[in-house]
Amino acid sequence: MADRTEKVAEDIVADSGQDERFAIDRRRFIQASGLLGLSAGIAGVPFEAAWAAGEAAGDTPRKGGTLVMVVQPEPPTLASYNNTSGPIGQVAPKVYDGLLEYDFNLNPLPGLAKSWDVGADGKSVTFKLEEGVRFHDGKPFTSADVQYSIMEVLKKVHPRGPTSFQEVEAVDTPDAHTAIFRLKRPAPYLMKALSAYESPMLPKHLFAGTDLQNNPHANQPVGTGPFKFVEWRRGQLMRFDRNPDYWRKGLPYFDRVVARFIGEAQTRTAALERGEVAFAAYNAVPNVDAKRLSTSREVIVTTKGYEMDAPVVELEFNTTRKPFDNQKVRQAIAYAIDRKFVIDNIWFGYGKPATGPISSNFKGTGMYTADVLRFDVPNRMAIANKLLDEAGYPRKADGTRFEIVHDITPYGEEWRRFGEYVQQVLQELGIKASLRYEDVATWIRRIYTNYDYDLTSDWLKTFADPVIGVQRQYWSKAIRPGTPWVNGTRWTSPRVDELLESAAIEPDVKKRNALYHEFQKLTVEASPIVWVMELEFTTVYNRKLQDAIVSPLAVNTSFDRAWMKA
Amino acid sequence: MREFWRGFSRNRTTVAGLAFFAAVALIAVFGPHFYPDGPFKLVAKPFLPPGGTYLFGTDMLGRDVAAGIVYGARTSLVIGLTSTFFAIVAGALVGGVAGYYGRWVDEALMRWTEIFQTIPFFIFAILLVAVLAPSVKSVILAIAVVSWPPMSRLVRGEFMAMRGREFVEACVGMGMSDARVIFVHILPNCLSSVIVTGSLMVATAILTESSLSFLGLSDPNLMSWGFMVGAGREFLQRAPWLCAVPGIAILLTVLAINLIGEGLSDALNPRLRQA
Repeated sequence: MADRTEKVAEDIVADSGQDERFAIDRRRFIQASGLLGLSAGIAGVPFEAAWAAGEAAGDTPRKGGTLVMVVQPEPPTLASYNNTSGPIGQVAPKVYDGLLEYDFNLNPLPGLAKSWDVGADGKSVTFKLEEGVRFHDGKPFTSADVQYSIMEVLKKVHPRGPTSFQEVEAVDTPDAHTAIFRLKRPAPYLMKALSAYESPMLPKHLFAGTDLQNNPHANQPVGTGPFKFVEWRRGQLMRFDRNPDYWRKGLPYFDRVVARFIGEAQTRTAALERGEVAFAAYNAVPNVDAKRLSTSREVIVTTKGYEMDAPVVELEFNTTRKPFDNQKVRQAIAYAIDRKFVIDNIWFGYGKPATGPISSNFKGTGMYTADVLRFDVPNRMAIANKLLDEAGYPRKADGTRFEIVHDITPYGEEWRRFGEYVQQVLQELGIKASLRYEDVATWIRRIYTNYDYDLTSDWLKTFADPVIGVQRQYWSKAIRPGTPWVNGTRWTSPRVDELLESAAIEPDVKKRNALYHEFQKLTVEASPIVWVMELEFTTVYNRKLQDAIVSPLAVNTSFDRAWMKA
Repeated sequence: MREFWRGFSRNRTTVAGLAFFAAVALIAVFGPHFYPDGPFKLVAKPFLPPGGTYLFGTDMLGRDVAAGIVYGARTSLVIGLTSTFFAIVAGALVGGVAGYYGRWVDEALMRWTEIFQTIPFFIFAILLVAVLAPSVKSVILAIAVVSWPPMSRLVRGEFMAMRGREFVEACVGMGMSDARVIFVHILPNCLSSVIVTGSLMVATAILTESSLSFLGLSDPNLMSWGFMVGAGREFLQRAPWLCAVPGIAILLTVLAINLIGEGLSDALNPRLRQA
């Protein structure tokens, strides 16, 4: 099976002259394409030099070739408008565009919207759309598609859309190239949720009036993006070919993007080392290998490009039953976890200690504060033991205080080791924890539907704004049985509700930050969750690959500017 | 008995196998007393190579690999022996009844057995453990469920052969109850093949348990050799002993049991004994 997959992928790679073994052919091919580029320039075809500006001489983007990326695991669907499962985001933005793109400080950049203007009262946003944009089926992209995508699709069926667009009452379309968002109240987070990954712009003419989930274009997407969807060979690969009519003239550089699915981690690593695959994101190469490869001459290992994810590894308490209904018990555990040990030995250095519900990734925006109750103090084990004594759980004759069950996150090896580590730490405190391991569906049901657990671990993305990624875990209205990754600890506080709700609609940056600072202080004090570490994902890519990571959404972008050095 | 031992020990490798297995059993019974903190205790720095303070080094979290081996021996033997015991009981019962009564009883039971035999046994075991959530009980159950059918076919064959023999007919003629004929007269006569097959089943059960835990389908509260290999696989280049030590333990134990099984077969098979 694996051999066959490889063979198929090789065929696809080989016929674009990108394989290592076709080195001579490739050189000839490059010369030819260079000449073509030159003649194209002379012939007056707009030659996109802007992206290359600032690059060293000789680093002019080279056209052509195939980018083979590995996506792990295989996406369940391509309907990025109603499923946010990780791997979908790595492929769908090659086909769909968004209204905006973002720089590394999370500031908006033009996408399908060439300019935008937020009204003085914060209650309207006017987007001027690019003209002459066509979907892959030739039909023009207009403001009607924006209106349809936001109001009929994203606001209704996207997992996070109902939150991101909660204040959007209507999208007006005065002309084909203007879309005006009408808001009930100001929604500062809205501007962070308009990327191709988060809010793809769909063709109204293909989706309107159909069953969105079973529409044939769910898995054969038609967008405005730089690459057209060609085929999906289940279990093997997805293929996207260059869109010659892409609205950014001269782009994309690659002729083809192939996403391969390789189940075995060691095979993925080997494929990158051999140059068979040029790009692998989201820890598709295990951390331990990434660490080894970081000194390699073939590939580059980076943690850049996940700024809009800002994931945090957490231990979550069931705060509605003993013993974790007691704040002192929860704090004791927060003290006992050695964050540095976890980062160094379980995630092999790819992480930063977390201090609270908002990731330090938000430092640039001023939302983050480290001025909270700190658990990384020298005498933390003594404090933890004291807190447990005070909470009314003294050590019994056999040295134990109480027994719990710790549900391991069923995501793989490091999570199991993390569970084993937590078990050992709890044992030092006199807490006897037995581990339970269930499949993902059962575990999700246990935590988010039945709430039948003591302690579990998980990681959640905090995304580009607290309203989208953070609020869901602490807001009383986010206790929604049956919905995963919301408030599963069922900890609530009226003051925190108030802070979250006012920060969500506060247009003044300073005031908004102050509200979030107070929120961080209160939640850390209450510790419904132990914020263990800010997870850093790794992307491993071939040294020849250029301009692939140009945004805080890295792999979740279109790769329209990416190119391969000779 | 002496004759049995002569047959058994004719091959020196058999004796070696028995000695090794006895050593593993001793480790499984008494070893944990030397590691009272259990196999999951973080004792030292991660990735200490073997040969220092820690005989087999430490793993990625700084746990003593030797402690893992000792507790893993217990897990492997307990699961291997218990699941085989249940498989033998179930197999002998089904096979015995089918072989003794024949006709529609036989038809029904054998079709039932075939249902189990048509499902690839390891995939079936994975499915069972995944559905029941990994724990000692579910692993034992899964291994027993996938390993009884061959035993039932074997016992059925033996019973069918004996059913027509004079001593059985004599028993029936004397008015003995079916249960008594089955358990007191026929079963003891096919015990030798049951024992030989059963001993090899223990080896298979240990391997199955290791494979399941290699895939992460083991009781998370118990250390097991397969789990150690699975967890160490990511670090093959950096710390090869994490896979090698438990891997060799599995290899030698399974080999030892196979040697014992062969010795038993030599000793218990009367035709070979005379040769």
